[in-house]
Amino acid sequence: MKRKTSLPAVFLIPPLIVLAILAFVPTIAAVNIALQNRELSFPNSSYVWLANFIDLFGDRRFINAIWISLIWEVVTVTATMLVAVLLAIFLFERASPRMRRLISILFIIPVMLPRVSAAFVWKFMFNPLFGLINYPIKLLTGAPIDFLSLPATALASVAVVDVWQWGLFFSVIILKLLETLPPQPFEAARLDNAKTWEVHFYIGIPMLAAPLISLVFVKMVESLRAFDLIYVMTRGGPGIATETLDMYAFSQGFVEAGKISYASSMAVLMMLATIIAFTILWKWVRKWQ
Amino acid sequence: MLRKSYCVALLGGASLLVFANIANAQICTSTVRVLAQPRDSLTLLESYKDEFKKLSGASFEFDYLNENDRRAKSRAEAATTGKYNVYYIDEANVALFAESKWIVPLLDYYPADANYDDFDAGRKKVASYNGVAYFAPIQGGGDLLYYRKDVLEKAGITPPKTLEEYEAALAKLNDPAKGFYGTALRGGRGSGANVWRWMTYFKAFGGQWFVDGKPAFNSDAAMKATETYLRLFKYSAPGTQTGSWTEVTEAFNSGNVAMIIESSPLAGQTEDPKQSSVAGKVGYTVPPRPLVGGGYGHGLAIGAKANADDAAKKCAGAFIAWATSKQNEERRLEQGIFGDINRTSVINSDAFKKKYGAEIGNALNETAQYTDVNFWVNADWPDLGDRWGIILEELITGTRTDVKGGLDELEAYANKLIARR
Repeated sequence: MKRKTSLPAVFLIPPLIVLAILAFVPTIAAVNIALQNRELSFPNSSYVWLANFIDLFGDRRFINAIWISLIWEVVTVTATMLVAVLLAIFLFERASPRMRRLISILFIIPVMLPRVSAAFVWKFMFNPLFGLINYPIKLLTGAPIDFLSLPATALASVAVVDVWQWGLFFSVIILKLLETLPPQPFEAARLDNAKTWEVHFYIGIPMLAAPLISLVFVKMVESLRAFDLIYVMTRGGPGIATETLDMYAFSQGFVEAGKISYASSMAVLMMLATIIAFTILWKWVRKWQ
Repeated sequence: MLRKSYCVALLGGASLLVFANIANAQICTSTVRVLAQPRDSLTLLESYKDEFKKLSGASFEFDYLNENDRRAKSRAEAATTGKYNVYYIDEANVALFAESKWIVPLLDYYPADANYDDFDAGRKKVASYNGVAYFAPIQGGGDLLYYRKDVLEKAGITPPKTLEEYEAALAKLNDPAKGFYGTALRGGRGSGANVWRWMTYFKAFGGQWFVDGKPAFNSDAAMKATETYLRLFKYSAPGTQTGSWTEVTEAFNSGNVAMIIESSPLAGQTEDPKQSSVAGKVGYTVPPRPLVGGGYGHGLAIGAKANADDAAKKCAGAFIAWATSKQNEERRLEQGIFGDINRTSVINSDAFKKKYGAEIGNALNETAQYTDVNFWVNADWPDLGDRWGIILEELITGTRTDVKGGLDELEAYANKLIARR
């Protein structure tokens, strides 16, 4: 016989209230500011309702920022997962357990570096006059490549740093996951003369589908927060070639114009787009599983 | 030795006299909080904290942010919480801060015996808005043409006096195959970055920002200035297309560049062997005509919100007077902090001439007559200037090519800015 108790409510309600305050107060404040014409240099403001949102869709930098954010998200998530899976499989197949442990430690170091430090280190490495990366290029071609100033290479160069941090870290996680799998299916496949890539493509990766999907979601959220990396390395340049939505919102709110209502309207749209996209993806993944 | 001790004693005595009234009144009751950007002169001040405490009764605290972040943070901070007693501001945002009443007129609280008139006239000009002084200068100056004497001599080129001669010299000296470049220009976005250098061409060709309150910059002068600036990038070192002061000065000081037109504080770095590989090899003169050097100044201003009453404002004023005093400028001179010397009595002193030689001093004096306030003196200038900075960076890096389209876009934006005031 079940006895009714109020204990779960006693424990659950206070943290839920705290969480609700933390989640809803800033959100409501952001929506409220987005409906006004508040600027830092004007003491007064009034409600303009949807005017900021309408202006956004006539703003070429906003449209550009949507595209750049989408490209950044797709490129960094895909590249991180590819690098992580391939490296993990390579280490699983070729490295001794002792070597794997050593490499795992080395691979974790990049993600432990603060983003800003990593960005400064790589910015200097990409420097066309003094950078390490340009040294062999200058020897081979006679001229350096200004990776961070060229529209064709700037976003990819920043993405390299992101993948360097997260791809290596994820490869360690996937390696450890591979080590936990039962060896029998692998042995059976090898007895049937399956090649290494076939063993992993048809057996290893499908067995790890659930944790891999979780890693994809973690990386998707993390990629949305790449502001510091881009800000230090390119400040959104050359021109607006690496200007993501968060970069543009920050720029409008605090760097260039002090238009905090306009910046808030971007933040609100970003929040809505993220909620919708993640809900659809989550439902799709659950159906697929 | 005896003479040096005598001078130090005299300086100390003079400083005590200046602040005698402050010391007696124990003018400060709490720590003076300052939002600033890193400068060697401010770091030097921190080693004399006890001196200020003895004079005023309280200490001070700096929060440092690099230039762009300092601009962004100080605007947001002054508009909202306003917890800083003193703001480090610059010529580009003095109008915004003054008009928004985030700072108060300086001279109302700056002790008369601290001699504000001693500051260089150009710096006092950019520190004022509508004829009222708002900050005491920490750094400032105009433009100089810096050239590698050894390189120009080897190539048989005399320092260019006109823009045509300058461009011809750049073409001759530029040798990317050997990793050597004609010049280093600021391409990175910002009213204080690429736009700052572009404005010297804009003004040279007769450009004006506004006439009778209407935008006038979408003109032949702006077209010609932009086309000239873009053309010169053919000779600019790699990395400068999205770079600013740091990138261009590093390129020059590392010995990869023949000539550079930059703000005058660079001279101090260039002649410092610890920071420069070209020390002793550089010549200094005025920028080629008809370029109009960009007069600029950064300094300390009294915050309005954090200093709620007159006593607090007087304390902030006393701190600024001490921080920008002749005594502290002489300490900077002794330490070789060239860029942060602003008082005419120090610039024209024998000690200055002895330290930096006659050539730099002469170039500084000569360039003053070709220096002007090139930007639009208005609270909306940072916004308009930064918007043009983005468009200009797009043009420099080739992500857009229509100069006229860029100017049209800027004009539409300027009209929007004016309409909302």
